[in-house]
Amino acid sequence: MTMDRRTVLGLGGAVAAGAILLAPGVRLIAAPNKTEASGAQRWAMLIDVNHCTAACTACTDACRTENNVPLFGDPKRDIHWIRKVEVQDEEGRRPPLSLPVLCNHCEHPPCVHVCPTEASFIRKDGIVLVDKHRCIGCRYCMIACPYKARSLVYFQVDVDKASNPRVPVRGKGVVEKCTFCVHRVDDGQQPACVEACQAAGEGAMLFGDLNDPQSEIAQRVRTLKTETIRADLGLKPHVHYQGL
Amino acid sequence: MLWSRLVVMILVLLLSGSIQAQGSDAVRPAGGWPGLKGDKCIQPTDWMRKNHMEFLKQRREVTVREGVRIRDESLLQCQTCHTSRQAFCDRCHQYVGVHPDCFDCHIYPK
Repeated sequence: MTMDRRTVLGLGGAVAAGAILLAPGVRLIAAPNKTEASGAQRWAMLIDVNHCTAACTACTDACRTENNVPLFGDPKRDIHWIRKVEVQDEEGRRPPLSLPVLCNHCEHPPCVHVCPTEASFIRKDGIVLVDKHRCIGCRYCMIACPYKARSLVYFQVDVDKASNPRVPVRGKGVVEKCTFCVHRVDDGQQPACVEACQAAGEGAMLFGDLNDPQSEIAQRVRTLKTETIRADLGLKPHVHYQGL
Repeated sequence: MLWSRLVVMILVLLLSGSIQAQGSDAVRPAGGWPGLKGDKCIQPTDWMRKNHMEFLKQRREVTVREGVRIRDESLLQCQTCHTSRQAFCDRCHQYVGVHPDCFDCHIYPK
């Protein structure tokens, strides 16, 4: 029996489709480790501004300790992954608010779009990161970010005994920013700032998975009036504020 | 003429092989590496000697970009067996004249 070209191609297609369909749930290629970032999750933060006080710096302090973020003593060069900002309405009718501002881990991050080396990227679970191995320090991302969430490392950072070995320090000449404490999140822990806020501070910060409808953050974002900073830019930031 | 060239080439190859073998013996201490614990590495020792750089680079990519964290294969876990970075990493790298910058940023835990 001879088969014409069409038959051979058709059989090939049927075999390929069969291989995919015959064994649902069974993968021919071994599945990667379970800790892989997955699109099933969407990490986000909710900050209740009413509970954040101007005097408290628990979140910023915890961030510096956890992530080895140095203070050089030069305000123009200092690195901030998270910083406290004071806001006041123009008429001065409301008392000034104090709130932490950090990387908003946007769904459409402009920093990622402008990065020429693909060092800035967004993980499947929505965490925006800088691959310091690839960063060339061009600082396009710092210009693109509307939240001023990124800093360039201007000076060599030294490691000392107090440094946290879980987080490498960053070399001179790369851009760094908040990672949502990705090393802790992958281990099933909360980011350091959230943990510190709940322990020592006022419990203003909440972290969780927006895609899980049962999670506290998903319920609060769904039911309460929350806002994001500069929502008009359409970047879909994932740091939500309550009471702003 | 062709034969003599071939003989010379084989001799040169053999000689360079013996020099390399001498070199790796020269840098490897007779009683094994100091400060070494455990029976075996996560991969066969010979394989790791040749391929650890590519292996670490591959692990780095999937960890940073995909979030795949395998605890036993983390750079932080090297020190559980190779307790001294000077003896384990630096000595060989100095001998062959390469300057990997892993530990300019990463912290080799004590």
